[in-house]
Amino acid sequence: MIGKKPRITATDLILLAGVGVAVVWLLYQATVQAQYRWNWQAIPQYLLRLDAQSGRWVPGLILQGVLVTLRLSIWATILALIIGTVMGLFRTSCSRYRRMLGTGYVELIRNIPVLVWIFIFYYFIGDRLLPAIGISRATFMDDGPLSGILGLLMAEPSRVPIFISGAVALAVYEGAYITEIIRAGIQSIDKGQWEASSGLGFTRIQQLRYVIFPQALRRIMPPLAGQFISTIKDSAIVSVISIQELTFQGMELMAATFLTFEVWITILAIYFVICLVCSLLVERFELYLKKEARPA
Amino acid sequence: MRIVTRMTRIFILAVLVFTLAGIPGAMAADNQDSVVEQVIQRGVLRVGMSTFVPWAMKDKTGKLIGFEIDVATRLAEDMGVKVEFVPTKWSGIIPALLTGKFDVIIGGMGILPSRNLKVNFTAPYDYTGMSIVASKKMAAGKTGIEAFNKPGVTIAARLGSTAVTAAKKYLPNAEIRMFDDEAQAYQEVINGRAHAVVGSAPTPAFQAIKYPEKLYLPIDGTFTREPIGFAVQKGDVDTLNYFNNWIGYVAAEGWLMERKTYWFETKDWESQIQ
Repeated sequence: MIGKKPRITATDLILLAGVGVAVVWLLYQATVQAQYRWNWQAIPQYLLRLDAQSGRWVPGLILQGVLVTLRLSIWATILALIIGTVMGLFRTSCSRYRRMLGTGYVELIRNIPVLVWIFIFYYFIGDRLLPAIGISRATFMDDGPLSGILGLLMAEPSRVPIFISGAVALAVYEGAYITEIIRAGIQSIDKGQWEASSGLGFTRIQQLRYVIFPQALRRIMPPLAGQFISTIKDSAIVSVISIQELTFQGMELMAATFLTFEVWITILAIYFVICLVCSLLVERFELYLKKEARPA
Repeated sequence: MRIVTRMTRIFILAVLVFTLAGIPGAMAADNQDSVVEQVIQRGVLRVGMSTFVPWAMKDKTGKLIGFEIDVATRLAEDMGVKVEFVPTKWSGIIPALLTGKFDVIIGGMGILPSRNLKVNFTAPYDYTGMSIVASKKMAAGKTGIEAFNKPGVTIAARLGSTAVTAAKKYLPNAEIRMFDDEAQAYQEVINGRAHAVVGSAPTPAFQAIKYPEKLYLPIDGTFTREPIGFAVQKGDVDTLNYFNNWIGYVAAEGWLMERKTYWFETKDWESQIQ
């Protein structure tokens, strides 16, 4: 099989033609039969528009949503990675107390629907925690340099509390899956590696740091990358608590313009492009790791 | 050594538990001022709303425009504070008000006895009514509201809106399908999968003008009349009194009527949207 050039056979052509006909028929059904009045010309102005007053190009509604989605995903990923790593180490720890803590967290989060979790977190938990650390009051400060930085990294000051609520809820949710990925990675390393490093007089932390983790990392990377991409897609769920990310902006736009399909298709394409770019980057990174691992 | 760590752990846990337990108390102490007082101190009036053409919607530049937006902006102006709009999903807007995500709902909310048990309403500042628009394909020949009150008739409406209440009351025999957004409800009828959509005037009429070959109006005007008020949290008489008198003041000026005519009777604003 290896090295054999692929040849196009009659079966391939028939299959290809079948798929082609099905796609064309679906498109025909969607456009002509449904008698939907398409209005694609209206879409570009929601992506990017020329501001009449300043004469500069500014992001439209949809692009603003993309920026929020990206910020949200990045924060949620960083937090989830921290939570996941700590909990993953807890789950593989020698201490029974820590193992129970890790297991409790994973089982609690994994067994509730994410939508319900986000609602509960926003209305009950977030509501009690954020005022306690003084965030909601601090965010009504006047426009200073700090509010500019906040605006760039998170959201405009008035929206920071809800943004934090959303990012933390998402991070806690994704963290449970990352915990399991990290646990599986560490446990997949042969027991002999622990014993050998222990025999060399390494402490447990040194064993993890120098022997186990470098090996586990290569096995952790692919599913972890998948989880990161999942986070971007899952961030659409926080639209239910009215964070103005891509999905929410799209829905608002549909409510105002009634351009249902144009807006949904645009949003679909944007999510696809973002996730595809991330996938390709991860693929590159995996190749790099493989090269590094090869003995010189 | 062992005992010391254990004691430390118990101590940390105790501190954590008591801090968390103390938070609701601290918050209750915070909220003793009336909402109006808090707004003045903060310098910002936070208004909960949801997109509903032509009450509130975003224009091309992402700025909010609409009847409610005008009302809330003027209200904040008269209070001497800045206004901040908090776009919220309609289905979650009352829980968001009750948990203090914003100070007041100015979003075309119909005053319903059932809603009034959960929140306080101001005196009505506007009246709206439910109107119905039907699919030419599905409901050909049906006129009058009674024609739709039959088993096998599907009515689309927005989840959690008074359209659902009106549809259940006037069309008890029809099947009601609920959608999160108005656009989805109208799309269902345009696609010919539901017989008609019930929605606040004037959107049904506007949609019938936009899709003349697909939609028609089975009745002229509206079949209900609903008072619209601001919604605030319960137990705050000062705020209610302020808002009620503000409504009386701007109504006497004729300003409310003038704004209403602009958004509901004319379509001068349409070019700002698309």
